[in-house]
Amino acid sequence: MISIKFYGLGGQGVVTAGKIFSEAISLYEDKYAITVPAYGHERRGAPVNTSIIVDEKPVLINSFVYHPDIVLVMDSTIIDKDIDISQGIHENSILVLNTEDVNVVNTYKKYNFKEIYYVDGTQIALNNIGRGIPNGSMLGAIAGTGLLTIESIEKAIIESFGEKAGEKNAKAAREAFERVKKM
Amino acid sequence: MVFKMLDGNEAAVEAMKLARVQVISAYPITPQSSISEKLSDLVAAGELKAEYVRVESEHTALSVATTAGLTGVRAATATASNGLALMHEILSMTSGNRVPIVMPVVNRGVAAPWTLWCEHGDAMAQRDMGWLQFYCQNVQEVLDLTLLAYRVAEDERVLTPAMVCLDGFFLSHSMQKTQVPEQRLVDDFIGPYIRKNTYIDPDDPMFCCDLTGSDEFTEMRYQQKYAMDNSIDVIEEIENEFEIRFGRKLHIVEGYKTEDADVVLVALGSMCGTAKYVVDKMRQEGKKVGLAKVTVFRPFPVKQLKEVLKGKKVIGVFDRSAGLGGQGGPVWSETSALMMNENCDIRNYVGGLGGRDVTIDNIEKIYNELLEIKEGKRTVHTEWIDLKENPMELRQVTKNV
Repeated sequence: MISIKFYGLGGQGVVTAGKIFSEAISLYEDKYAITVPAYGHERRGAPVNTSIIVDEKPVLINSFVYHPDIVLVMDSTIIDKDIDISQGIHENSILVLNTEDVNVVNTYKKYNFKEIYYVDGTQIALNNIGRGIPNGSMLGAIAGTGLLTIESIEKAIIESFGEKAGEKNAKAAREAFERVKKM
Repeated sequence: MVFKMLDGNEAAVEAMKLARVQVISAYPITPQSSISEKLSDLVAAGELKAEYVRVESEHTALSVATTAGLTGVRAATATASNGLALMHEILSMTSGNRVPIVMPVVNRGVAAPWTLWCEHGDAMAQRDMGWLQFYCQNVQEVLDLTLLAYRVAEDERVLTPAMVCLDGFFLSHSMQKTQVPEQRLVDDFIGPYIRKNTYIDPDDPMFCCDLTGSDEFTEMRYQQKYAMDNSIDVIEEIENEFEIRFGRKLHIVEGYKTEDADVVLVALGSMCGTAKYVVDKMRQEGKKVGLAKVTVFRPFPVKQLKEVLKGKKVIGVFDRSAGLGGQGGPVWSETSALMMNENCDIRNYVGGLGGRDVTIDNIEKIYNELLEIKEGKRTVHTEWIDLKENPMELRQVTKNV
């Protein structure tokens, strides 16, 4: 069982990313995923998160993730908004971060993740879809950890966004997958 | 049989579409869920041949569905929390007129304080209105129990409406891998709506539901009670048929590792999944705990729950509603009445209100308390299991004058 937490800001498509990710796992990887989104009084720019649990067999737990194995951060400024993205992590937890700024990556070192995967998902989104919405690209980055294949992510993105928008987002995911670095 | 990723709202819609509902009336504003919106999309796209009536309140939503049902069609609506509270008066019109509507209820706390999040207080407040109530553990059960509910509600031995209760957010917005049956299989299982009672026909107008004197009222109520009593056997029978047709077993009450359990927790809804996980985890540590998952709360499954709790000395009951002014929550009260002649200790737990997460840790805490009670190491239990410290000092509003 793998427990995952996606953090981001309202408008970045965090909940949609959780949905597409869980589709990729459940429909194209022959595993089971459940998402438990923590909805609040949403507004654009406010911190949001979603919990996802992945397993080989149907997932029984219906509760938020408190001890994530993988943390995905869609917006690196979230830590300035009173959010502790390292809450509940353990010695083997992995971070996937939307930035290519080494200074930012260094700031995140203080959380003592075992590994940090990082890529500028927002720039890749701008290049491919013309808008800085990083959910598609960051799903490619998470495939870079080896948790699931990039092909499953691409299929789930096209299925969710439809042929036209899906192709562009899938391209963004592929680019992030190829560009993601590990520290 | 194909797998789809659905949230609870989508699963409810999928089941209503598969059941080919013919009239839908809905009030599309908070606290409504995306159920009414998705049904409207299906009707607009021509994927569901139904009359969609947008009304001005939940009260009217159920009035339209009920009266449409009286003309002899499969009618539908959906609601949640304060919307269900506004339907209160009509709930009894639906059940008293024996209109077998199946209605998804997204379980949310009833304001005030305003909340959009999960608890069972909304549905529990309507528990004696003559509707069947099913509580779902996961998204698959939302789909399966909705399909089942059509068969049970419309059965001529029952003719009683049904609420299919799904936890707000924890099911309504949780995406899960769900098996969706083919239309052909559902058509064979549910079939077209066949009216089994008198009906309203514009070509032959009649007045329905007029003033009933005390010489008949009691008998009419008794007929409803008789149908409720019948329904538990009908549910059992149709669950068996469901398993043969669709390959999934549904339970009125599911005893999960209860046979040799030292202590058992009674619960309903999505927390049952987490509780099963905790049971597995604690059993690995040598602690013999079990779960009684109550799927059917109305009618209360006397025979089935008694069978699961037989011989247990210490039982916990988790109510996801406050049961204000009662001796305990509604599930605890029912369980206590059920076991009144048994020599056992039944503890009431309240938690998960207004969206507070029912966590692995808190369920484990309950089981550990029950085990300590069983071993004579503890007398009191933590009734409000997830209450913060200093609840009376939460916050103060500063006045400016």
